[in-house]
Amino acid sequence: MIAKTRLDPESLLRFERELDALRLEIAQDLGERDARHIRRVRGFAQGSAIAGRGLLMFGFGPVSWIAGVVGLALAKIVENMEIGHNVMHGQYDWMNDPSLASQSYEWDIVCDGDHWRHSHNVEHHDHTNIIGKDHDYGYGMLRLSDQQKWSPGYLLQPLWYLLLALNFQWGVAVHDIKIGRFLLGRMKLPEFRRRMQPFLRKAGRQLFKDYVLFPALAWWQWSRVLLGNLAANGIRNLWTNAIIFCGHFTEHAHTYTRKEVEHETRGQWYLRQVQGSSNLEGGRAFHLLTGHLSHQIEHHLFPDLPAPRYAEIAPRVREICARYGVHYNTGGFWRQYAGVIARLFKHAVPTRPHRESTSPA
Amino acid sequence: MNRVHLDPERGAVSSRRAWRHPLFAPLNQPESWDRLAGLVNPRWSFSESRATVVRIVDEAPDVKSLWLKPNARFGGFRPGQHVLLEIEIRGVRQGRCFSLSHAPRRDGLLRVTIKRKADGRVSGAAHALRAGEVVRISRAQGDFAARIPGSKLLMVCAGSGITPMVSLLHGLAATDPARDVVLVQAFRDVADALFADELRDLQARLPRLRVLGRITSAHGRLQAAELPALVADWDERETLLCGPDGYMQGLETMIADGARGATLQVESFGRRAAEIDPDAERHRVSLKNDERMFTVSAGASLLEGAEAAGLQPRFGCRRGICRTCSCRKVSGTVRNLLTGQLSGPGEELIQLCVSTPQSALELALPA
Repeated sequence: MIAKTRLDPESLLRFERELDALRLEIAQDLGERDARHIRRVRGFAQGSAIAGRGLLMFGFGPVSWIAGVVGLALAKIVENMEIGHNVMHGQYDWMNDPSLASQSYEWDIVCDGDHWRHSHNVEHHDHTNIIGKDHDYGYGMLRLSDQQKWSPGYLLQPLWYLLLALNFQWGVAVHDIKIGRFLLGRMKLPEFRRRMQPFLRKAGRQLFKDYVLFPALAWWQWSRVLLGNLAANGIRNLWTNAIIFCGHFTEHAHTYTRKEVEHETRGQWYLRQVQGSSNLEGGRAFHLLTGHLSHQIEHHLFPDLPAPRYAEIAPRVREICARYGVHYNTGGFWRQYAGVIARLFKHAVPTRPHRESTSPA
Repeated sequence: MNRVHLDPERGAVSSRRAWRHPLFAPLNQPESWDRLAGLVNPRWSFSESRATVVRIVDEAPDVKSLWLKPNARFGGFRPGQHVLLEIEIRGVRQGRCFSLSHAPRRDGLLRVTIKRKADGRVSGAAHALRAGEVVRISRAQGDFAARIPGSKLLMVCAGSGITPMVSLLHGLAATDPARDVVLVQAFRDVADALFADELRDLQARLPRLRVLGRITSAHGRLQAAELPALVADWDERETLLCGPDGYMQGLETMIADGARGATLQVESFGRRAAEIDPDAERHRVSLKNDERMFTVSAGASLLEGAEAAGLQPRFGCRRGICRTCSCRKVSGTVRNLLTGQLSGPGEELIQLCVSTPQSALELALPA
């Protein structure tokens, strides 16, 4: 593993200022181009959903079924990743358009929007990769770092991971309820019930839509629609899971302890975001399908800048990192994903925390 | 039987509500259908009133009238009312209120008359509109109108304050042509006189309409004390005032104090957001829909200020990342503590934890 870089206070301050200046430059340049992008993507997602659902409901034969599944899966992926995730970060709040407002947007997935806004925007983005504080690190069921305590259950974690990947939207949906805390007796029943409620409501609506309403509207073709919707949701689950796991669990992504981040400055926060995240390389379509999470590093530095801007600023972020000797973790999808799977197997068995060597800045 | 006859309306409402239930999303989402309808005609919408600009008329230097064709969501209006006109400027939706400057017409067209201000982003964008473009408008708002049936009227206006007056006069010409009306219209220069021809036509239709012009570049602003000389029976008339805040204040006080039993209606525009005050040590923050008010030291975040005042706004990270503390600013200017960027003066979303006031503010804190 490439060692963690620590910067002396003076370099750290300059590093912070350079990134702040970059952010300001983009924030001042936001305008029609960004507005047009999100509206076009929204139009594309809607068109793809109509085409996909239409083919499933009114098509016949296996070819139209497969095309329908692809259309609907594409719509769900784009809506969840490029629209939902990004809008809920507040990337388009400046547009003053109520249909793109971060605090009220609701997405096409079983996870309730408010739950997501808390577990993701607050916990994960503030406490990125801090063991014990960032609940996205291992999702409470996977051990991906030697800083996490081992227990025998982790021996089967490749299997747990497969189940999580197939049902990823459900994993995301129950994430903010903190079921583990309830099972350990650290959460009272009324509190647990209160936390379950938004999840049950949202899950009910999603299940009704995909497995009752649309199949029913297709009359005798109901089974075709039901299976198609199941397949589309499944494809979305596998894809989003793979992309998201490549964001923080790749070979060279670092973790942090609570002690390390005490009295953290903004510069140190930036540094942690860079060293805890990893990018994926690919073409424009690939970046769009990942919701630009392929630029995880840029996203974690500036979570509320419109995502297509990440691709634009990536070379400059990389250049800044190079000057300060900070490793910029990037690679192709398969290489990075292989790193994730390797990590999953490596830490399934007890691994001893090794003392970290740090490279001088 | 009675019940059956009384209930249809309520029945309609509740069935509409059931149809609107989120269970049926996305099939019942008006925004989704709007996007589809918009492919056919950008004016069509199931959720908002929109209008197409059909004609643009130059009225005076820097003043244009836009004739608008609204969609069916626009529910009509009464003379004297205004609409919120929203235009997208560099991707940002911005709106300002403008009086409708004509009475309701048989062809359904609306007219707004807009003066371009030097620093006015919306008025500038409105002037750049071309025929065929579509804008968002609110439903008609406001209740600026004479209240007493058949009363003698005094209308006093300055600059574009003439717009609701012309609308009211068109309305009177159609419904009450015998009404006794005195219109005192102030404008900077002869070239700035709005609707001169139209007022002549209106005088033909309203024989008891008297129009008194006041050129302020030559004779100065109309002072309250001059009014009795211009309109001897001013204190017997029901009065309608419309113009910039400062201009109207003296008249407003005098008429409110001096009028004998008659009522006074005031429509003011150009009531601007509080000015930026870089020297103030503390800035006042008032809340919409709430009596409370607090002050925040210059340089401190609004979140800290609100908490110090005993309020408990929602928050998450407290460092500008998560947006949990997003709040709608109604008016006033804030500075972003992270980037140093200044906000605009109008309505927009801000983050309480990284915003510090630069002027007095009004916020719409979520409950």
